[in-house]
Amino acid sequence: MSEFWNNCLSQFEKELPAQQFQTWIKTLRSEEEGAEGLVQIVAPNRFVMQWVRERYLPRIQELADAFFGEYRPVKLSLGAAPEKMRSNSGPTSGSTLETQHNTVVLDHSASSVNGHIGAAALVATRNFSNQARAERAPEAPREVVRSAAETNREKSRLNPAFTFDSLVTGRANDLARAAAMQVAENPGISYNPLFVYGGVGLGKTHLIHAIGNAVQKANPNAVIRYVHAEDYYADVVRAFQQKAFDSFKRHYRSLDLLLIDDIQFFNNKARTQEEFFYAFNALIEAKKQIIITCDTYPKNIEGVEERLTTRFGWGLTVQIEPPELEMRVAILNKKAESEKVRLPEDVAFMIAKNLRSNVRELEGALKKVLAFARFHNREITLDVAKDALRDLIGAHNRQITLELIQKTVADYYKIKVAEMYSKKRTRAVARPRQVAMWLAKELTDESYPGIGDAFGGRDHTTVMHACRTIADLRMKDDSLNHDLHVLTQVLRS
Amino acid sequence: MRQLTLDVQLDRQASFNNFAGQNNHELLVRLKALASPGSFEALYLFGPSGSGRTHLLEATCALARQHGRECRMADSSQVGRDLPLPTQGLLAVDDIDQLNADAQIALFRAFNSMRLSGCALLLAGSKPPRDLALREDLRTRVGSALIYEVRPLSDSEKADALAEHAHSRGMRVSEDIIGYLMRHGRRDLPSLLAVLDALDRISLEQQRPITLPLLRQIMQLPLEADDLS
Repeated sequence: MSEFWNNCLSQFEKELPAQQFQTWIKTLRSEEEGAEGLVQIVAPNRFVMQWVRERYLPRIQELADAFFGEYRPVKLSLGAAPEKMRSNSGPTSGSTLETQHNTVVLDHSASSVNGHIGAAALVATRNFSNQARAERAPEAPREVVRSAAETNREKSRLNPAFTFDSLVTGRANDLARAAAMQVAENPGISYNPLFVYGGVGLGKTHLIHAIGNAVQKANPNAVIRYVHAEDYYADVVRAFQQKAFDSFKRHYRSLDLLLIDDIQFFNNKARTQEEFFYAFNALIEAKKQIIITCDTYPKNIEGVEERLTTRFGWGLTVQIEPPELEMRVAILNKKAESEKVRLPEDVAFMIAKNLRSNVRELEGALKKVLAFARFHNREITLDVAKDALRDLIGAHNRQITLELIQKTVADYYKIKVAEMYSKKRTRAVARPRQVAMWLAKELTDESYPGIGDAFGGRDHTTVMHACRTIADLRMKDDSLNHDLHVLTQVLRS
Repeated sequence: MRQLTLDVQLDRQASFNNFAGQNNHELLVRLKALASPGSFEALYLFGPSGSGRTHLLEATCALARQHGRECRMADSSQVGRDLPLPTQGLLAVDDIDQLNADAQIALFRAFNSMRLSGCALLLAGSKPPRDLALREDLRTRVGSALIYEVRPLSDSEKADALAEHAHSRGMRVSEDIIGYLMRHGRRDLPSLLAVLDALDRISLEQQRPITLPLLRQIMQLPLEADDLS
């Protein structure tokens, strides 16, 4: 196992800039345990684990597959800390009643509403455990080395990948970006609140995470919280159910920077709006920065009280628009660059031309192309990209219906569609009808009786006869064979 | 005299081994990777009904459980306002095009929180993302996942799948039977398998060997029923 890990390390050392290698890869260690054949990688903390999982795990998996010559699942896990955290939340090991109470409440909330489950719950549990332990005794070394900044980062729920550096700028978002950078430099002072609006999938979330990350970088002790409006609503509901409004209020009013996403989700949620109204006032008064995103401008939000929408307009309102073609290409290039892939220009243009409305699906398309090329071990070319993107439009299962066949064949032979189910048996209509039946058998899953039914309730033996006749004739009759070829093409295209 | 058969059915557990078709090789490899610990991607697969979507979701969940990951599989009708993500686990949701308004928000939130929970997301539906009638913020998130279309089986692959299915039930089925079934029956796999199951049952009930005449008789049955109604 260690041999593999050494190999892996030296590979990464070659592929990554020194600083990235030192920060992310060097801190990992490999462990020999678990089920046979499992490659176990241990990260020193959750932040590194998340980062590595997002950026480097696929590559580690590739290296493992290559090294062992077969598929070996790579498992990334945290050091011993999580188990300790969990055991602390158990009723036997808690130190004070208060700690136990807090921990239990948080665990419960984690399982009740999904916005905060998992890591967030563990983090919260750990923070309370940490507090409790700080009051009593020496601790496990791993827990001690966790800096305040690191804990802060975990609590903020910021996505470290969303930074100003990774944000592509163009006409569509340059104003919003400039305002965001200004706010990041002088939080609470320049524009408060900053209200960012725009359509779906244009990078609003990316932009506000970038502000959060920049503020955090400048001031690691700043208390930052990113929250989606739906999760804020869930927090309110939970506070209501657990009669814990005091701690809820305390939490939101203690922030230095509140980033709240998709505020349109507040619509018709009166209690949530009320709570937010008070939090908003308290934060603004204390000169703490608030950043809001929405799918529309403040005055236009439906189902939100006017006293809130007015306040949303107090600071600066900026719009993000859909990116133009060149910017979409730039976004694709940036994304490819972060994956260490060179994207040919024609491929980038092809993808950017086909996906116009939002960045999210644009990146989805690129992901598909890269995955396809990597899997089939092919160079990224226009043809490979077109092949890969066929999955995005459902090109493989195009449904050919009997009606479509009947209409297409009737048009081709210039007869009425009604002749397909009429009783007439003259050659001029009987042959096209037979052709249509043969195509129906070839191109759909229908049975002989099913086809007979669709052609005016004919018997299945009639369909069988038609199929046999056409199959025989096409061997001898070139023009019929040509017709069948053309019709098949038309129906499949 | 009619032989009564016990109502005991072969428990056909979905796995990657009993999913036919070479065309889907890339998808299968990707699903296996998704099931393995440490993977937390989002994957959306689509195809017409009968293409094996549910089978693939079940097979992926089964594999993930073997790896010791917590797994949750939900059909669209079971999704309510909450859709908890199993931490470090796998959440599979079938028929997402059928999700109601609340359930769509639940899935939307699942997308938003999957990064923090380290959870993989496996979704299935009948249409490509651009044709899904979902809220736009959810639809684009589905569109940002890794997307695969379940490829249809060729006729010879369907014939192989039938032979394999017959074999697993201990039926002795000649190539003639399968050939006849492919020529005369509906050729989507669920229909074909259903005829094969009926053939097995009736051959046991009537204590007749599996022959072409018996198959023909069975294939007439639905038509006769139609005529009567």
